Amino acid sequence: MTIAIYARPTLGQRVAGPFVASVEFLRLLSKRPVGFAGFIGCVFFLFLAFVAPLFVPLKNDPSLAEIYQTPSLAHPLGTDFQGKDVLNQIVYGGRDILTIAILAAFFSTTIAITFGSIAATVGGRVDAAIVAITDVILTVPQLVLLIAVAAILRPTSFLFLAVILALLQWSSLLRQIRSQVLSLKERDYVEAARSLDLGLPHIIFREMLPSMRSYIAIHFILAMTQAMYAQVGIIILGLVPISGTNWGIMLYFAQGQGALFFRDSLWYILSPILAIVLVQLSLVSFASGLEEIFNPRLRGA
Amino acid sequence: MTAVPVATKQLSARWNPRRFFGPYWRHPIARAFLKAALTIWVTTTITFFLIRLMPGSPVELKIDELIQSSNGALTYEDARAIASGLFAIDLNAPLHEQYLSFMWSLVRLDVGKSFLSSGTSVTSIILAVLPWTLFSVGTGLLLSFIVGIGLGLLAAYRRNSLFDRVVSTGGSFISSVPNYLIAIMLILFLGVQTNIINFTSMRGAYSPGMQPSFYLDFIGDLFYHAALPISIYFLTQIGHWILSMRSATLSALEEDYVTAARARGLSDGRIRTAYVGRNAVLPLVTQLAISVGFIVGGAAIIEQIFAYQGVGLKLLDAVRQRDYPVIQGIVLLTTIAVVIANLAADLLYSKLDPRIGRAGGAAG
Amino acid sequence: MRGLSIDYLTRRGAVHAVRDVSFDLEKSETLAIIGESGSGKTTLAVGLIRLSPRGTKVTKGEILYTKDGVTSDVRKLDDDDLREYRWAECAMVFQAALNSFNPVITIWEQFLDTARAHGMAGKRRVRDRAGELLDLVHLDARRVLPAFQHELSGGMKQRVLIALALMLEPQLVILDEPTTALDILTQRSIIDLLRQLRQRLGFSMIFISHDLSLAAELADRMITMYAGRVVEHAKVEDMFYRPRHPYSLGLLRAVPRVSGALGNITSIPGSPPDLIRLPVGCSYAPRCPFAIDACREADPPLLAVDTPQHEAACIRWRHVAEVLRSDADVPVAEKLA
Repeated sequence: MTIAIYARPTLGQRVAGPFVASVEFLRLLSKRPVGFAGFIGCVFFLFLAFVAPLFVPLKNDPSLAEIYQTPSLAHPLGTDFQGKDVLNQIVYGGRDILTIAILAAFFSTTIAITFGSIAATVGGRVDAAIVAITDVILTVPQLVLLIAVAAILRPTSFLFLAVILALLQWSSLLRQIRSQVLSLKERDYVEAARSLDLGLPHIIFREMLPSMRSYIAIHFILAMTQAMYAQVGIIILGLVPISGTNWGIMLYFAQGQGALFFRDSLWYILSPILAIVLVQLSLVSFASGLEEIFNPRLRGA
Repeated sequence: MTAVPVATKQLSARWNPRRFFGPYWRHPIARAFLKAALTIWVTTTITFFLIRLMPGSPVELKIDELIQSSNGALTYEDARAIASGLFAIDLNAPLHEQYLSFMWSLVRLDVGKSFLSSGTSVTSIILAVLPWTLFSVGTGLLLSFIVGIGLGLLAAYRRNSLFDRVVSTGGSFISSVPNYLIAIMLILFLGVQTNIINFTSMRGAYSPGMQPSFYLDFIGDLFYHAALPISIYFLTQIGHWILSMRSATLSALEEDYVTAARARGLSDGRIRTAYVGRNAVLPLVTQLAISVGFIVGGAAIIEQIFAYQGVGLKLLDAVRQRDYPVIQGIVLLTTIAVVIANLAADLLYSKLDPRIGRAGGAAG
Repeated sequence: MRGLSIDYLTRRGAVHAVRDVSFDLEKSETLAIIGESGSGKTTLAVGLIRLSPRGTKVTKGEILYTKDGVTSDVRKLDDDDLREYRWAECAMVFQAALNSFNPVITIWEQFLDTARAHGMAGKRRVRDRAGELLDLVHLDARRVLPAFQHELSGGMKQRVLIALALMLEPQLVILDEPTTALDILTQRSIIDLLRQLRQRLGFSMIFISHDLSLAAELADRMITMYAGRVVEHAKVEDMFYRPRHPYSLGLLRAVPRVSGALGNITSIPGSPPDLIRLPVGCSYAPRCPFAIDACREADPPLLAVDTPQHEAACIRWRHVAEVLRSDADVPVAEKLA
């Protein structure tokens, strides 16, 4: 006869649970101006990148008569080298970049969790091998390798690019997870779970990971920033086939078309830069806000 | 050092690296060397496979290209022979032999010949541009380190004051912004919108017509041209040093020996440098060497933006021109450089911190 | 020290760590301050040389220091004078010598730093002096000086600290838990050392501990502290043979006998009060077996008991005396024989 281990939560509790937790989280966050500002920034840009395009039509028609116009009512941020509206491009420009960033962060987090836990639980040679590989990846200069790999492999799909980006980033989280799992392995509640024969994945996911929530979340966000940095970098360098329009591509054209050296095209260059910079700042601020919340020692420092 | 255990007849005949390296594993310095060797080995192996084995690999492409451009005059074997010369790989031999000879030529620093300027060895190409990159990256790094830890120390001492808040927030802001964006903004605002800096004259590593040498004019010119890249490296790195030093100093300040030193009546200045400062800086020194790796990567984009002929720009040129040996060479070189830098950092740290690497332990 | 009060300022409110403590210390006298952790004893000691950490405030009181007939209030010293005062007049040896030294410079450099900070010039002079001091504490200077702190054992470090403390011939040496982190044998040697040094050099000593046996060995007078206040203040023999405050009695009873039958060991039930929101009345009342209603009404002042030099903060001290006399148990102090 099976013994009920958890008191089964009622449906009401199940639904309300995450909701209550989120409200609590927001309350804590609102006490920290920097973190909260970051959070708002992130939400804003996510909205801009993913939701706004649903409402704003894509204006993709070049109009040679209107090249490099300065900001006006019709074109609040001016026009580019083809006469296309800049603001419109900004609205549509975030989607690709953020998607790839999120995907890359997701992949790297998954790899880190999986292999970190495996390394810690299986131990022995497998562990040594994984740690050695991690060390190597940590050492290799990332952007150089990225450039070389992008040149040789020529990624065309977003997924591919995201995977490549992710492959260079999982190292630090893996080490953290591995050391956490190693230390938690010996704790009582793990022993209890093991003796109840709950199975390894269950132990890892339900028992240990919740305590690591904090750095997983923070790592995810920071991985997004690194992915954006790398992504926009190689786009500007022209190493990725150009399709559609996104902030990075705008900068690539700006470089290539010499927009850099025109006075009137200021906003064409500045807008994507500002967008990227603001997203990065929001992410970093949000991450530091999270860090403060999860690390009680820093509260009220 | 503990002796290698006298082996009883092992049931498993496999050579166990632990046994072999065992006694060496304990000594931290030897361990660092081993790790370095391992990393270099792994990277070169990965590069080898990447270049050689990927479908549509550069080697195959090259062979095709050679055949095509000769209009069928070359046979596949001939083309392969030429390609192998270019890549420093013997394509006729079986795979593991290729691998070994690849390794061997690597040791001799032969990374093949460039596709374009046929006959020029990749090594010489790299060496021609390396000094400029090292110069700009190194200067930027050093400057940002020195200024950064100074500011970080002061900020920690004046915790929560206006100075501290400005410095910390400024630092974390700047370090969140990608370095190439700062470069572009710099050009935008200082060069184009206003006319403070004359960018065109600053392109390139040194003015055309000047001969690299050690006389003063040239060195001045060098600095002039490198000023922009150096400022970018400086700006983007300094945030990190400020914040790290600040937090390291804050923890050092809480240590008992600082209170004990004050109880002994030592002056604040002395405590700040020898007691707090030295202890706080120690972990940062290792980071110094490690960050070399990261800048070298970002240098590529910066050099592109400023048209500064360094290794980064060379890499990008090579990529555009599909000059695979050069790409391979640069990747290997930068990895080796980073590995050596890490090694140097470990060694330096063990020299600086008296707690490491000595036959320590309490006596009596 | 007169009426010293020190607060820690925390988010929850001011922690009254030290409340209205007064005592006098004569030349060459040794005072022991005994109490549990959290009783405020370390805060007190650190306050004596004004090394309180951030967020601590001395709310009132004065610390009067007399040298060569001149009395000054330590609280009013300016920075330079304060640095002079520290170590040259009053040296403090901290708890857990484990981390009292800068780990990255040698012991010799730290001697040099201390000497230089107080105007002692000339490496040779300092070297000689260091040699003398290390001799006093039975250490070999040639072995100790070039070493780094992680190369010395706990006992050695404690001795070096004591040697350093005596460098400028201070009139007062404060020792915080001098023997806590050490093993029994080392403890013994340190205690003997302190006794010898005191005899030779004649400095006054304050030491802080929770270890009563230490007081028995070294102290002339003793103070017990509880919840930031002095609850009893007496000569050592008086305290041991005739304790008058229930807390002191409790402490003595909690020490097991070394010789003979185990006797009645009792620990004191309960735990110390919250120092932010202190209850009205005697702060020991909740744990006191002799408490009556009157105890909970007002904080008892220090009353003279038996002799004028013996004070206890308990309105029921006579009752305590009664209990002691009629105690079937062997007199408490014999437990420490």
